[in-house]
Amino acid sequence: MILTRETAGGRWRIRPDGPGKVTGRLKYLTDLALPGMLHGVVLRSAHPHARIRAIRTERAAALPGVRAVLTHRDVPGLNAFGISRQDQPVFCSDRVRYVGDAVAAVAADTPEIAERALGLIEVDYEPLPVLDTPEKALSPDALKLHPHGNVLHRSEYRRGDVDAAFAECVHVVEETYVTPRQMHTYLETEGGLFVPEPDGRLTVYAPTQHGLLDRLQLARILGVPEEAIRVVSSPIGGSFGGKDELNIQPYGALLARATGRPVKIHHSRRESVRAGLKRHPMRITMKTGIDASGRLLAHRVRIVADTGPYATLGAEVLNFATEHVIGPYRYANLDVEGVSVYTNNGMSGEFRGFGGNQAIFALEGQMDRLAELAGIDPWEFRLINLRRMGDPGPFGQQIAQTDGAYQVWVKLKESPLWRERDSLKRAGEASASAQSGGAARPPWIRTGIGAAMVMHGFGLGYGIPDPAAGRLRLAEDGRIEAIFGYEEFGQGLFAAIEALMIDTFGIGPDDLRIVVGDTDRVPDSGSSTASRTTAMIWQALRRMEQPFRRKLLEAAARLTGRAAGGLTLAPGGVADAESGVLLIRYADLAAKAEETIGAQVHFHFPTTDLERIGAHFLYSYAAVAVKVEVNLLTGRVRVLDQYHAVAAGPVVNPMGYVGQIEGGSGMALGFALLEDAVMENGHYLTGNLDTYLIPTIADSRGTVAVEPVEELPEGDPYGPRGIGEIGSVGLAPAIAEAIHEATGVRVSRLPVDPALLIRRPEDLWKAVDGR
Amino acid sequence: MIERTNPLPAAADAAVISFTLNGEPVRLAVPPARRLIDVLRHDLLLTGTKIGCEIGRCGACMVLVDGRPVNACLTMMYQLEGRRVTTIEGLAGGAEALHAVQRAFLEEGGFQCGYCTPGMIVSAAALLAERPDPTDDEIVEALSGNLCRCTGYGGILRAVRRAVAIGREADGTG
Repeated sequence: MILTRETAGGRWRIRPDGPGKVTGRLKYLTDLALPGMLHGVVLRSAHPHARIRAIRTERAAALPGVRAVLTHRDVPGLNAFGISRQDQPVFCSDRVRYVGDAVAAVAADTPEIAERALGLIEVDYEPLPVLDTPEKALSPDALKLHPHGNVLHRSEYRRGDVDAAFAECVHVVEETYVTPRQMHTYLETEGGLFVPEPDGRLTVYAPTQHGLLDRLQLARILGVPEEAIRVVSSPIGGSFGGKDELNIQPYGALLARATGRPVKIHHSRRESVRAGLKRHPMRITMKTGIDASGRLLAHRVRIVADTGPYATLGAEVLNFATEHVIGPYRYANLDVEGVSVYTNNGMSGEFRGFGGNQAIFALEGQMDRLAELAGIDPWEFRLINLRRMGDPGPFGQQIAQTDGAYQVWVKLKESPLWRERDSLKRAGEASASAQSGGAARPPWIRTGIGAAMVMHGFGLGYGIPDPAAGRLRLAEDGRIEAIFGYEEFGQGLFAAIEALMIDTFGIGPDDLRIVVGDTDRVPDSGSSTASRTTAMIWQALRRMEQPFRRKLLEAAARLTGRAAGGLTLAPGGVADAESGVLLIRYADLAAKAEETIGAQVHFHFPTTDLERIGAHFLYSYAAVAVKVEVNLLTGRVRVLDQYHAVAAGPVVNPMGYVGQIEGGSGMALGFALLEDAVMENGHYLTGNLDTYLIPTIADSRGTVAVEPVEELPEGDPYGPRGIGEIGSVGLAPAIAEAIHEATGVRVSRLPVDPALLIRRPEDLWKAVDGR
Repeated sequence: MIERTNPLPAAADAAVISFTLNGEPVRLAVPPARRLIDVLRHDLLLTGTKIGCEIGRCGACMVLVDGRPVNACLTMMYQLEGRRVTTIEGLAGGAEALHAVQRAFLEEGGFQCGYCTPGMIVSAAALLAERPDPTDDEIVEALSGNLCRCTGYGGILRAVRRAVAIGREADGTG
C-alpha cells in the first residue's frame, strides 16, 4: 500500500518537535546568545597548496575589541582531528593543503571587528603546485601531501578469474561513470556557542552527529579530560553527514578557553562551502560481461575517489563503494579495486548514501546497458542475476536474511508507473503521448520511464566500533525518560522515539520526556549515522521492555496492594489490566517509590562474521521507477512521477518514513540533474547558493509514491531496517535510464549535461547549415 | 515599545528608525544600512527568522514588510521607516495561536530539520493572504524563493494545499 497520511491513519502523528519549528520558537544552537559573548571567525588558507613561511598576528591582536588571536602555537593538546584518522590540523603551521585550511582564529566584541582583524593577520605563503585531480596526485613525481604519500586508502575484492570469464562472455559493456562534488547544503550552516563554565568545564553547543565523539576529539585538542567538556548537539538544522566531523568546534572551544568568555561562531554560506565536506567525486570504470542467457559472468570495477586534503571518513566511504559496486547481483567472477586519493581540492567525506550513490549509479548503468545489448527487458534482466533469500552478501559474507531484493523487484514490476512504461513501449512513443496527454505534446518533448535497484548496507560494518545503548527512567516528576545518545537533525528522531515508546509501553505522549543530544546525560549509543538510529532504538527498547515494565508494575503493585499481574501501563499511569481504570499516576509512583525505577542496556550493532572492515550484516532494499520529460530544444530534464518500493521492515513513524524517502529522492534529483561544486585549480568556482543549485519546489512538482514492504522472515530478530539514506540512492540511475528511454542517449556523467540531450530539429538544421 | 536589547557599540552613523514589528511600535538607533536580519537575530534576539545564504537565494530569512515577503538579508534598516514588519514570531498574532499554514505544516509533515520552515511558512502565509485559493502553479511560484533540503518539497506542497482547505473551512463556518 502506498504510504500517505490517509493510509497511515492514527499512526500519522504530529512530531513532538514540530510546534517549536513551525512557530520559530525552537532555539537552534546557532540561535543561542549570551550577554558578553564574543564572536569568533576563522582565517582560511589563501591557497589550495602552499608552504607557510610566517604568520604575524600582532596587528590583529592590537585592534580594539579583539580579545584573542590564535594560531597553531595556541593548541594545548593535539593539533589535529579526524573521526577515523587524525590528519587534519586544527591550525596549519607549515603548510596548507586546501582553501578551507584554518591558519588562525579571532574572537572579538562584534562580528565586524572580528572580520576586520582577520584582514590584519599576515601570512607569508610560498605557493606549491596544486594537485587538483587524483591523476596528478598519483603521478610518481607529485609532491607528497602526507608523509605516507597521496593514497589515503586502497580497497579490493576478487573472486574467480575475470579475464578468463570475459573470454566466455557473449556481451560485454565497458563504461566510465563520473559523479559530482555534491554539497550537503544543510540550510543551517555550521556554528555554535562555546561557554566556559564557573567550575572550569567547557560547554559546547554545536551540531554534530555524535556528541560523545566530538567530546573525545575536543578533549584531545584542548588537552583536558573528556569529563571537562559537555557537548550539547541537538537540535540541528540539517546535516546529511556533513556535520559528522568536527568543523567549527575546535576554534570555538580554543577561543572560549583563551578568553574565558562565551564565543559564538556561525559560518557564512561562503565559508561553509569553502571549508565543509562534500560527496566524493568518483570516477568508476566498469567492465561487465554476461552469457547468452543474461547471467553475469564477470564484473571488473576500478574506483578512483577524490578525497581532498584530509582523511575524515574517506577510507570508509571507499570501502562502502567497493561493497556497493557489487550490490544485489550474483556474479561468477569479480575483480574490484578502489583508491581514495588525497588532493588539494575541497574536503570530501561522509554524505548520506556514503559512496553508495556513486557506486549504484554506475552499477545500475551497467545493468541497463547489458540488458539492451542482450535484448532483455531491463527489469527482467535484473531478476536473472538478483540475490535471493539465502544468498550471502556482496563479499560472500553472512548477512541477515530477507527476501527484500525480490520483494521490491515484484512491487516495482506491478507498480502503475512500470505498467505505464510497458504500455508506452507497446504503443510506441507517438501514439502513447496522444493517449496520455490529451492535448498534443510538442514533438520536442519526449518522455521515458526507467528504474533501478538498490541494496544498501546500514550500520558501520565489521571491525568498526558501533556501540548502541539506551536508558529508561521514571523521573522524579513522573515523566518516563527515554535517554539516547542520538541527535535530532531533522530525520525525526523525537518522533521515532515517541512512536516506539507509545507502541511498546502503551503510555501517552504526555508521559514521555525524550533526552538526547547532551553528553552529560546520555549513554554512548554510537553515532547518528549510517541509517542506524531507529533500528538501534528499536533493539534497545526490545531489550529494556520487560525489565522496565516489570519494575514499574511491581512498584505500583506494592503501592496499591494489587497483584502486579493484574496491572498494566496506560496513558497517565498504571491501570487495572481488566477494567483499564487508572490506579496510580506516574507522578505519584515516582514520588512514593522506594528506589529509582529504570533500565539500561548496552550492546553492539549486529555484524557479519566475515573479517572484512566495513562489510555489512544488515541491508535495506529499494526499487525506484521514474518518469521524466526531456525537452530536446533545451536539453532540460523534468522529473514527473516517482515510485519507490522500500523493503526495510516495519514502518516505525509513517510521516518520517515518507519524509526520508521523498527528501532523499529530492537530494538524488539534485545529484542527477543540477548539483556540482565546481573547482578549478583547487579553488571553488561555486561559492554560494546563486551558483550551487539545489532543487527548488519548481523542480520537485512530480508525484512521489512510497510503498514500504514491511514483511520480514519469521522470527527475524532485527526489526526495522535503516531508511535514512536509501531514498537518496536509486533515483539517479533510474533517471539516467528514463533519459535513455526518452532520447536514446546514455548518460554516464552527473549532473546530466543538457547539451548532450539537445536535438536540433530538421528545419532548423537546414536553416543553420544551409543544407 | 521595544528598545534594543543587545546594545551595539556606539555607531557614528546611527539613525533612528521607527517601524512596527509584530504589531508593536519600535524605535531603534542603528546604522541605516544595517541589515534587517542582523537587527532581528543579533540586536533583538528574534531568532525565529533564520539565515542561510545572505544573498537572497535560500529564503530562510523571509519576513513580511507591509504584508509582502522579503528577504531580511537584503533589507536595510532605512528601508523600513514607517513600515510594518512581521516575522514568524508575529505571524499567528498570539503566543499560543497557530496560523492556518503553521497548523497545516504540522499535520502534513511539511518540515524536517525545520530550519527553512519559518521562511517557508512566511512565504506561504503571504500567498494565502493575497490569494486564499491558489493554484498549484501559484503555490510553486510563491515558494520558489525558499529552499528546503530535507523534505523534497512533497510535504510542503501538501501542507500549503491543506492550509488552503483549512481556510475554506474557516470561511464556510464563519
